[in-house]
Amino acid sequence: MAYNKPIPDPDPTSQPFWDGAKEGKLMLPRCTNCNRVHWYPRIICPHCHSMEIEWIEASGTGRIHTFAVQHRAFGGWAEEVPFVTAYIDLTEGDRMFTVLRGVDPNRPEDIKIGAPVRVEFEPASEDVHIPFWRAV
Amino acid sequence: MPGQLSKAAAIVGAAEANEIGYPETPRTSIRLHIEAIKNVSDQTGIPISRIDGVFGAGVSSQIAEYLGLHPKYIDTTAVGGCSFEMHVHHALAAIYAGIIDVALVTHGQNGWSARATRGRGTGGGRGPADPWSPEAQFATPYGISGAPSNYSHAMTRHNHRYGSTPEDFAHIAVVTRQWATLNPRAIMHSKETHPEGGPITVQDVQDSRLVSWPLTLLHCCLVTDYGGAILITNPEIARSLRTKPVWIAGAGESMSHSNMLEMEDFTATSAAASAAAAYKMAGMGPDDMEMAMVYDSFTVTAGITIEMLGLAPRGEGFTLWKDGHAAPGGRLPINTNGGGLSFNHSGMYGMQLLVEAYRQLSGTAEDGVHGIAGKQTSARSCVVNGTGGSLSTTGTLVLTAD
Repeated sequence: MAYNKPIPDPDPTSQPFWDGAKEGKLMLPRCTNCNRVHWYPRIICPHCHSMEIEWIEASGTGRIHTFAVQHRAFGGWAEEVPFVTAYIDLTEGDRMFTVLRGVDPNRPEDIKIGAPVRVEFEPASEDVHIPFWRAV
Repeated sequence: MPGQLSKAAAIVGAAEANEIGYPETPRTSIRLHIEAIKNVSDQTGIPISRIDGVFGAGVSSQIAEYLGLHPKYIDTTAVGGCSFEMHVHHALAAIYAGIIDVALVTHGQNGWSARATRGRGTGGGRGPADPWSPEAQFATPYGISGAPSNYSHAMTRHNHRYGSTPEDFAHIAVVTRQWATLNPRAIMHSKETHPEGGPITVQDVQDSRLVSWPLTLLHCCLVTDYGGAILITNPEIARSLRTKPVWIAGAGESMSHSNMLEMEDFTATSAAASAAAAYKMAGMGPDDMEMAMVYDSFTVTAGITIEMLGLAPRGEGFTLWKDGHAAPGGRLPINTNGGGLSFNHSGMYGMQLLVEAYRQLSGTAEDGVHGIAGKQTSARSCVVNGTGGSLSTTGTLVLTAD
């Protein structure tokens, strides 16, 4: 069945991220001046304002920063409720948003902030593979 | 010692549109604006033609044009529901600088009627999101569906960090509803105004349907129509009017992020910074505040904000409601109109905060529309805090009675 949820539309700045995702790699922008990773992708480092940004392949690991259980959603996601959304602290620094897999949305009390997670990619179209994080 | 801008201007009137809430026939946003503007002009005796500064959340030129005004100062700051508190800050500076004499801050939003009109009459507002925006690429693909689905993450983090519970925050909804029962214009005033209106319990809040765990429906604000307008002027004109001035003793604004992806601390907002600026200008502090009007898009918004304003220790904002201090008759009344939770929330709620703060401090909080007494407090000072976006932007005012 065709992917029925919103499919990201890569822009010139984020293209390297989506190129990596297609190969199963989590690519993150890192400043070559201060060596800090930032998320979402920018053309300038939000920490030191250098414009020398490189892309690194990240470990694809992180931890749950906080989460919620969505009981109301629209479009393709409406068919998936309830589902868990979470902000993930990346091992390399900064934070990503995701639908969290490998957890029971009907037992939120069992989901632990700080628990380890790992990224996986779902092909949403030929060109765009979307990262999702899974509790491990 | 107060800063130079402190009390350089006063709010001299505050009014609402004729019908707010769930009007029987659909309202347009422009009608909601214009009725409120006409009403505040009538209230103060300041002719609309004398307005020389127009402050609106993205719509200032449309409003000025509709009224045939050619203002000298046009401010369209639109950063969510706190825009109106920021407009007051900017108007204070513009009046202090002598650029303008009479500032209009105006709001009209048909959050309820737009459902019936299928989006017509909103006065513009937001178009579809830019598909290349960070939000469209890195948040929308994960089923995020508006404010409740974001703010719930803040409640979870607060619970984790401080050991608070959703039940603790439910007290905010319960006490705010008590205030609504004293406001005949509140949607949730009584069973006459809404089938689910009237007093509620913590159990009612927790038993209402889940929207975005841990937020149930009664942790979330209403969606209504609202029009509101205030006029701000210099001390000389303020003294010449038939209405009472409410002084802008302090003002400040700040932000921590636009998209929640960039929210560093899910248990804090920039209100700590905007309040520090407002208190400094006023030469006052949290202990000097006799009431508070804080944006309650969700119970968690209000709870965290009270902590940021220094009115409760970090992690304990909800205790002001839980212990009854924020309730009618309490030592620190909060959200005396019934809040966004139970009075009215049109999408951007900052104007509702200002109108109620003006009414309380000018001693006109009981005029309502049906003359029902009960919600007027004895407060002589009020801290007002708007929160916009996804706990993103804040504007704080310290207002004082004459």
